[in-house]
Amino acid sequence: METPFKEKLEAADVPKMPAEYQDLLKRVLAIQADCEIGGPHLYVKTILPAAPTKVDQLIVARTAAEEADHYRKVARLAGDIGLDVSGILSRPNRERYVNAFRGEITSWEEFAVFGFLIDRVGRYQLEEFIGCSFAPLDRILPDVITEELGHIDYGQNKTAEFAFKGGSSKERIQKIIDLWYPKALDMFGNTGSRRSERYRQWGLKRRTNAQARAEYIQEVNPLIEAMGLTVPDPNVGREFV
Amino acid sequence: MTQAPNTVALDEAMEEMVRALHATVNRALPHVTDDPELVDQALRDCTEILDVVLEGNVSEWLGSAPAGA
Repeated sequence: METPFKEKLEAADVPKMPAEYQDLLKRVLAIQADCEIGGPHLYVKTILPAAPTKVDQLIVARTAAEEADHYRKVARLAGDIGLDVSGILSRPNRERYVNAFRGEITSWEEFAVFGFLIDRVGRYQLEEFIGCSFAPLDRILPDVITEELGHIDYGQNKTAEFAFKGGSSKERIQKIIDLWYPKALDMFGNTGSRRSERYRQWGLKRRTNAQARAEYIQEVNPLIEAMGLTVPDPNVGREFV
Repeated sequence: MTQAPNTVALDEAMEEMVRALHATVNRALPHVTDDPELVDQALRDCTEILDVVLEGNVSEWLGSAPAGA
């Protein structure tokens, strides 16, 4: 195996890198931008006006503002290496890169589970870039991850509230967990992905898809169980394994 | 490798919208119980700004210059 790339690059260094590095960096920034703005596209129209209280509505607006800002930061990095990702802003949901962003969130319960499960995957994806070879990406991470942690906590607390109410509330939230859990696991990509290895080789990611997914499962399963809910079968409803 | 066209202008336009959203939310949150009209107006403002962001009409944000021009 080749020695992993250890250097730290600035935008001005990128043109001097092999085409493979440039392609992988552009790809990962485009996907990250797509995921950041994909969230608000899922819930702003449906959930902002329908959240149960004014405080919740304002929190939805703030969450969308933070995700839009994450998109902005990633789009700036992409622009600085010559990649225009502005078209991603208005891309229809059905064309989003990641399957989890291709539909629409239609209930408050679903918004809660989205924060609990999907924003948590988002945190894992961001953590991949900690200490990465493209230094400008590494530098935006602390603020972005801190905001994602807020979204995850909010979603987790709301999901737990629904579960602890019991009865039909618990049944509804279980169904939504059953729907989103496989999408969350799929977000880590194929286990045997060659591209995943190349990302690691070039110092753009830290873990393989399988490692990151396994760590996510280890973290999230006990949280689901602590709410009195059942962890879905990880092999059901999956697109990538 | 040159910077993509409009990178800085787009960054600034979005940053301004994000700041406006945060300011609107922060102004409304302390008044949820005592000033419902202010909160409703803030929610309308947030909706309007987010509609513009998600519509992504970049050429309009940048003053009629098409992205990439």
